[in-house]
Amino acid sequence: MNEALAALPADATAHLQLSLAALSLASLLSLPLGVLAAGRPRLREAALGAASVIQTVPSLALLAIMVPLLSRIGFVPALIALTLYGMLPILRNTVAGLAGVEPALREAARGVGMTPGQQLRRVDLPLAAPVIVAGLRTAAVWTVGTATLSTPVGAPSLGNLIFAGLQTRNGVAVVIGCVAAAGLALALDQTIALLERGIRERDRARKAVSLALLLALAAWTGGAFAWQRAGERAPIRIGAKPFTEQYVLAELLSGFVEHETGRGTEVLRGLGSTVLFDALRAGEIDAYVDYSGTLWATILGGSGPPPPRAELLARVTRFLARTHGVDVAAALGFENTYALAMRATRAEALGVSRISDLRARAHELSIGGDYEFFERAEWRALVDAYRLAFRDRRVMDPTLMYAAVAAGEVDVISAYSTDGRIQALDLVLLADDRGVIPPYDAVVLVSPALQARAPEVVEALGQLAGAIDGDAMRRMNGGVDQDGRSPSDVAREFLEQLRADDRGSSRR
Amino acid sequence: MILLQGLVKRYGAALAVDGVSLEVGRGECLFLVGASGCGKTTTLKLVNRLVEPDAGTVLVDGRDVRTSEPHELRRRIGYAFQQVGLFPHLSVAENVGITPTLLGWENTRIAARVDELLALVELEPAVFRERRPAALSGGQAQRVGLARALAAEPRVLLLDEPFGALDPLTRDRLQQAFARIRRELVLTVMFVSHDMSEALLLADRIAVLAHGRVVQVGTPAALLASPADATVAELLATPRRQTAQLERLLGGAA
Repeated sequence: MNEALAALPADATAHLQLSLAALSLASLLSLPLGVLAAGRPRLREAALGAASVIQTVPSLALLAIMVPLLSRIGFVPALIALTLYGMLPILRNTVAGLAGVEPALREAARGVGMTPGQQLRRVDLPLAAPVIVAGLRTAAVWTVGTATLSTPVGAPSLGNLIFAGLQTRNGVAVVIGCVAAAGLALALDQTIALLERGIRERDRARKAVSLALLLALAAWTGGAFAWQRAGERAPIRIGAKPFTEQYVLAELLSGFVEHETGRGTEVLRGLGSTVLFDALRAGEIDAYVDYSGTLWATILGGSGPPPPRAELLARVTRFLARTHGVDVAAALGFENTYALAMRATRAEALGVSRISDLRARAHELSIGGDYEFFERAEWRALVDAYRLAFRDRRVMDPTLMYAAVAAGEVDVISAYSTDGRIQALDLVLLADDRGVIPPYDAVVLVSPALQARAPEVVEALGQLAGAIDGDAMRRMNGGVDQDGRSPSDVAREFLEQLRADDRGSSRR
Repeated sequence: MILLQGLVKRYGAALAVDGVSLEVGRGECLFLVGASGCGKTTTLKLVNRLVEPDAGTVLVDGRDVRTSEPHELRRRIGYAFQQVGLFPHLSVAENVGITPTLLGWENTRIAARVDELLALVELEPAVFRERRPAALSGGQAQRVGLARALAAEPRVLLLDEPFGALDPLTRDRLQQAFARIRRELVLTVMFVSHDMSEALLLADRIAVLAHGRVVQVGTPAALLASPADATVAELLATPRRQTAQLERLLGGAA
């Protein structure tokens, strides 16, 4: 609760920055375009058509697609996606508002001697204003709402609270994030409405109050922006994929780097794994934890039976350094493999303990996997090697996946071997008896840029080699998932223990 | 003052104006009358370039209208039309003062002019100045429309059924007001109407149009005395019959 509240001001500010910037940009583009299009049927159809097509793209997909298109993460791709998304209502209402001006008024405007520009400023726009402002309000609500989805592309927003809260089963954080986003949307909507009423009724007080509110909002976000920029040294940016272990590890790296080097850090949560690697290569983030088997399958394109653990790690390390300039700063010392898991009682009843036992039963069983699993090489390798044909397969959020298997809604899930919930929910991991799933050593990857900019950080991260074993990781994951503690709290405790052990060993 | 020479305007294959030449002298009020679609409104709009001709020229004050920017030309020529087209987001005073505002007059001069014009069209300035057009009756709106057309002290006025769609009583009062104002201000007026009675009462001369051509031009008396053809005679039939009936009624009452 306290941690979620503590993150709220920063997240809300970032959220508002992003939303206001996108809304301003969308208005700056859509208003002139709408004015031009209003008198030009062909341009009108083309512009409205394009904006409508953009609107049919799911907002999360539109945000996600900006990352490979621009080959960068963070504010810019989120801004562009939200701007595109917010353009339609403004454009549509500008065109409709101008089309709604009575022909008699246009004739009068020309008749009294207005130039086309004066007609637009003095007659067309004021009369279309209520309709245009209605479009602006729609765009404002959409943009503030959709901005919560910019977390996965690395732009901080109130989505940070929501996504992280969903992953770590912190309902309070989710609620705080949602309520704050809804509150911002409503506040912006009402402020714009007040401005519109003020203009329409020529109420100076209303106009002044609403303009002051908008200016205050702009000053707040602009000020925060300038203050961020003024921070003399850019923080070390640490990425995390969207699940508990990654949140814990990102906080752990962050705490460790800050303590060892005194450099500030920033944790970017909830990025997808290929987005993270591209962002690291491009220097958009400085470090994150990945898994050797994942890198082998997705970056090296490895297929067929994987090599043994040590050889795979060596091959991955060589390949990343040579091909992408990305270094493995440390192998943390534990593995987190994809593993098929079932409820213990169900597995016993079916007589299943190895994956090969599933083959005869698969046609009557259903399997649940996280967002990536069924697209991954491991899944294809499993299907090929064990000839698995499940009755049904479902893609789920990792958190819901564990709940679903525990409740018997699916029979098998793609679990993570270090997940604290395996024990807590009385699940069993099925043995990979044909050795199809590669080893998954957790490794700290660092960007080429970081090696040049802050070699001391790379060196410090190197000290984490072998520092975390499987049990320690499972305990930390369980601390978050079962005990409801925050990832940063769990990570801090681990680091304190690590330093205490260090002092103990050096004294000896 | 206004000279139209060989004006032609086509809309697609249709000829809206087919070789119209007319002259309106200084201080004269010329009516354009005729059936719907005879080209009278188009002819009027050719004067202030709301419509551009396919052939022919328009001279206002001896100058070809094409030598001025359209908006500059229109600021010198008053224009009022049946739908009035008062700007609903502006007050009565702002509507009346719009052309002086565009011309960059000082605010005090505009305010004085607005009050003067409201008084001229018989609207109490203190009552109507700050009203919105939505709060005006049809007759009041037409008066404001006329005041707006006169605001920048034009010497030429173009009116397109400015008193249409009004109840007879209001219409009569406005016609009286117009007759007074145009003599007071020595305005050169082109007035489009489909109502022959209105034309006979207010015009110095009347031009009858049919199918885009001028059929006859003359004073009301001349038209009544010798209508050029059946079209003109037919247009005059209604006022004649009504007058005769009224005379009988009035004679009977006396």
